Amino acid sequence: MSNVVATAIPQDPSVVPSSVSQGKSLWSDAWKRLKKNRAAFVSLYFIVFVCLVAVLAPWIAPYSFETQNIDRALMSPDGVNWLGTDSLGRDMFSRIIYGARMSMSVGVFTAIFSLLFGGAYGALAGWLGGWVDSSLMRIIDILYAIPSLVLLILVGVIFNSLNLFENPELKALTGIFMALSVVGWVSLARLVRGQVLQVREMLYVEGARALGASGWRIVGRHIFPNILGPIIVMLTFQIPSNILFESFLSFIGLGLQPPYSSWGVLANDGWRAKSYPHLILFPGMALFFTMLAFNLLGDGLRDAFDPKMKNR
Amino acid sequence: MIGMVLGWGLVALGLIGIILDLGGEFLLGGIPPEFWWVFALWGLSAAGFAVVRGQMFVFVMKRLLEAGFVIFVIATLTFLLLRFLPGGPFDAEKALPPDIKANIEAKYGLNKPIAEQYLSYLGSLARGDLGESYKYIGRPVANIISETLPISFQLGIYSLLLAFFIGIPLGVFAASKHNSLLDNGLMIFAISGVALPSFIVGPLLVMVFSFGVPFSAMQGLLPPALWESPIYYILPVLTLGLRPAAIIARMTRSSMLDVIQADFVRTAKAKGVAEQVVLYKHVLKNSLIPVLTISGPLVAGVLSGSFIIEIVFGIPGMGKHLVQSVSNRDYPLILGMTLVFSAMLVIANLIVDLLYTVVDPRIKLG
Amino acid sequence: MPISLSIPLTISLAKSLNRQLAALVILFALVGTACTRGNGDIEVELPGGKKTKLALKETLRVPATSEPPSLDWIKSSDTASAEITSNLMEGLTQYDLTDKELGLKPALALKWEATDSGRKWKFTLREGVLWSDGVPFTAQHVADAFKHLLTRETAASYAYSLFGLKNAQAYNQGKVPWEEVGVKITAPSEITFELDKPMSFFPYLLSHHATFPVRLDVIKKAGDRWTEPENIVTLGPYVLKAWQHDKIVFLERNEKYYDAKPAIKNIVFYMIQEIGTQINLFDSGKLDAVHTLPSVELRKLRTRKEHREVMRLGTAYYGFNVTKPPLDNVLVRRAISMAIDRQQVVQMLAGGQVPLTSWVPTGMFGYEAERGLSFNPDKARELLKQAGFADPSKVPKIEIRFNTNEDHARIAENIQAQLKKNLGIEIELKNEEWKVFLNTLKIDPPQMFRFGWQGDFPDPDNFLNLMVSHSDNNHTKWKNPRFDELIAKGAGTLDREERKKIYSEAQKILVEEDVPVVPLYIGVSHLLVSERTENYPVNAMSIFSFKATRLKQ
Repeated sequence: MSNVVATAIPQDPSVVPSSVSQGKSLWSDAWKRLKKNRAAFVSLYFIVFVCLVAVLAPWIAPYSFETQNIDRALMSPDGVNWLGTDSLGRDMFSRIIYGARMSMSVGVFTAIFSLLFGGAYGALAGWLGGWVDSSLMRIIDILYAIPSLVLLILVGVIFNSLNLFENPELKALTGIFMALSVVGWVSLARLVRGQVLQVREMLYVEGARALGASGWRIVGRHIFPNILGPIIVMLTFQIPSNILFESFLSFIGLGLQPPYSSWGVLANDGWRAKSYPHLILFPGMALFFTMLAFNLLGDGLRDAFDPKMKNR
Repeated sequence: MIGMVLGWGLVALGLIGIILDLGGEFLLGGIPPEFWWVFALWGLSAAGFAVVRGQMFVFVMKRLLEAGFVIFVIATLTFLLLRFLPGGPFDAEKALPPDIKANIEAKYGLNKPIAEQYLSYLGSLARGDLGESYKYIGRPVANIISETLPISFQLGIYSLLLAFFIGIPLGVFAASKHNSLLDNGLMIFAISGVALPSFIVGPLLVMVFSFGVPFSAMQGLLPPALWESPIYYILPVLTLGLRPAAIIARMTRSSMLDVIQADFVRTAKAKGVAEQVVLYKHVLKNSLIPVLTISGPLVAGVLSGSFIIEIVFGIPGMGKHLVQSVSNRDYPLILGMTLVFSAMLVIANLIVDLLYTVVDPRIKLG
Repeated sequence: MPISLSIPLTISLAKSLNRQLAALVILFALVGTACTRGNGDIEVELPGGKKTKLALKETLRVPATSEPPSLDWIKSSDTASAEITSNLMEGLTQYDLTDKELGLKPALALKWEATDSGRKWKFTLREGVLWSDGVPFTAQHVADAFKHLLTRETAASYAYSLFGLKNAQAYNQGKVPWEEVGVKITAPSEITFELDKPMSFFPYLLSHHATFPVRLDVIKKAGDRWTEPENIVTLGPYVLKAWQHDKIVFLERNEKYYDAKPAIKNIVFYMIQEIGTQINLFDSGKLDAVHTLPSVELRKLRTRKEHREVMRLGTAYYGFNVTKPPLDNVLVRRAISMAIDRQQVVQMLAGGQVPLTSWVPTGMFGYEAERGLSFNPDKARELLKQAGFADPSKVPKIEIRFNTNEDHARIAENIQAQLKKNLGIEIELKNEEWKVFLNTLKIDPPQMFRFGWQGDFPDPDNFLNLMVSHSDNNHTKWKNPRFDELIAKGAGTLDREERKKIYSEAQKILVEEDVPVVPLYIGVSHLLVSERTENYPVNAMSIFSFKATRLKQ
């Protein structure tokens, strides 16, 4: 089962360059280089657009995502329902717009959570090194091999029974959000550790240490700014793999609580309905372009933060 | 010299195996089972030779011991976690009367204290016995693995070959034309491989290549499912291979870009070595390390089977047991699968580490 | 090994792009040559690795949704296994599938009669029946099967189906020896069963695979591996020739079969879980049938000429936990039942399901069309007011829980919308993974939950018995001694008119007065059946026995 994670979240320290130059010039240089990369820039606009759609969903969507009209079930796109209707006669256009809300929040918040937790864990391992590092990494090896489906079900059950939120939308999200975070942080911990290990050996850190700077000061002043760029790059890769992983969860029946829907849920409902291509086409396209945008932006950022790229 | 013979002989044997597998029905009537024994023995001696020559014996032993411990902890934790999972193996839509359920649980020793169950599981594990499945009554877990894993392996190997064959050249091309239209185009193509879940990609390919939508000339070109002969392999291999291909392509591209800037490449260029030679001889070879790093988990993941691909294409592999054993709460089967998966992960990572020294002799292990 | 193989291979090939391209070309050429094969014949691997070719014109290719968990008919308890064993074996009785009421007809038993007002059943067995290894079938094999099924160590799930036999439960618990159980061979081909109390539907139990005769000598010899093709001994219309786990099961006509020999020589079951994949194979001519269809597609698939449908002996319902407020108030339960328009649910499902307000399904003995609470939103609101909720928004939030499944989700979403519209109450939906859901039902049933019941045999007892207070399948926590009493009385009554009256009263309590459940609809099976077949088994019990099926030439 863990292979799901292995293939779904395929990240590695070396995707991300080590940015060694210091100071603000790094950021302005990166921004300049990013602007030159047209594909990445278009992607950035697209992602901002999708985020706006997600936030403004209640005002943009022509209908509610849950209003049913059985008499108009499974209609092909027409003037009333621009992208057709599903088997309960709900408007697909509105459901895709609301789906953006769920998919994006699953993607973004899970990535941030995994990053905070996995990052802290990885940084600790990388910074302390020695036996702490190797035992922390063995723990990760172990977690990586435990069937993630078992973890997913367990975490989902625990968080669903806790009833943390009153808001039904948040309630529907928590289970899946926690489940994804629990399996997601492991790979991020590995990545951050690799980064910290690399930066730790850099000359300026050695220098700072020789000058008697305290551990926290070194981490705060030298290491953190230097791995921030790579971390942003990681986020742009982690978000789409979370969105995709959510669709896999729908496939195996551990998805979102209805009547809410994400793009993964919509795609999973749609792919069997061969006679109604609009059920898979539009959610599929939404998924596809968002994935593409995040990945292109990630590639662009990666290049932009790479100091060796200066003269290219 | 012996190392060369052993190493390239292994590659040659592997190629012969693939040829026999793909075209064997005309050539020799399939692969004789003895072939794999020869192959395995050859591989073991090649690996052994490499380890001894590279003076990595201690390193390998240490890693294997460590791996043994990790696998033991994995088995223990999984065993415990399973008992916390709500729902038992014998809960069904039609609830069994308590007496009957007690009989069944007694038969599998589930009525004993957990500590005792755990010890007896470890005991049988030490004897090499993975136990019997609860769902597939009377069928040993070892049999399920030995019957389904080879098929997942077959699917996985072809997908990986495809991934490396497509991924590496794609990455090289893109990197050599950095930030050009070609680079962007190739990368968009590669990303398309990861942009959709395989439960959409698979049926999409089936629609085009089996049912001829929208190109009716393609109708009936490839069978939509099953796993009978090479023609049946194409669509699932393509579906499974696209994802790692995309990952490898992007990895190759980015690490090539890193290496191109390195001093030794500039030196080579300055010395007037032809651009192509520099690109392939120096840059590519040095860019392979990150690609290798990601290959470890990727290989283990792909080889142990993909649930979605096996479901969508009706392939009798291990991937679906990986998921369904959990849905069925089939404890011995879940544990067996987990052990196999973690062993594969460990071995794949070890081989990757050993390969580092092949690609870059400067790397010292230990 | 392949790992170590592919990487050096790649390294070497990557050195030269041209060589790499060449290798790709070779690979595809190889695949290409392999593609030119195929004439419609089916190749099957027999035990021992030998391959054999089956001619398409005498082979039926059908789907099995999963690897059969066990071909041991005494131990198995799932549909995938039953699909196969129902072709390998026969019981004392069998369904008359041509009969609308699903009566029984003789199989291994020629006739049977009840004495002692239904407390004793005497079965006269057919003579001259041979097992596939040539051994003649005797009454001992029936007694052996009963003993094996009931023995504690066998740990068979279906052992409880025979707990009506005298002392059967005590024997299963190891309290009495086998000799005291009510199974007696009274003549060389006659066997008599003695029951604890009268049971009018007893012969139906003997058509179930758990009670099929068995050869203990074979089981003793081969142990758990006795169901493998090289060991198994059967007496039905087909014999097991090959079983490639997770892939196919291959059956061949049994030349020793006692009745008319089946028309089709070979049957190959393909284990394909995904329905979409089954349909793809059907559409490309590689499967002769699909046994379930995706519900979203039904509107389109029902118009196809290969489509068949039949009402199932199974119902879907929603249950209440009658101990959780506000559903501890019977008026609220009645209001909810009246506020659900079953017609709309069925219209949404678009699969020809039959709306149901009573508990006993349409067409079965004991069915009453007028029974139950029909859709009446005004009356429902009135009841809610009587229950003390003049303002529906004051009703505490009610949770509907169901196991994750596209259809269950659609139904729950529809009912949520209906209750909001018709009663003005808020419903919250929660789905759970299947086994988690079963566990929830067992430990702490939610306020409302989805469930279904697939009948074991067409008798009202099989449906009503589910709701008695000691039933393990009654998740509502509802207990009514009068109801229990009626069900017990009904089971022991042989007179049909009398039984009908008893069940009528029981149903009234269940679906009109106490309302711990809301019946929704009767299920319908949808199939695609190739036009090259004739007389394909399409029946309410989903019994896929192919002995009467033919292939058109």
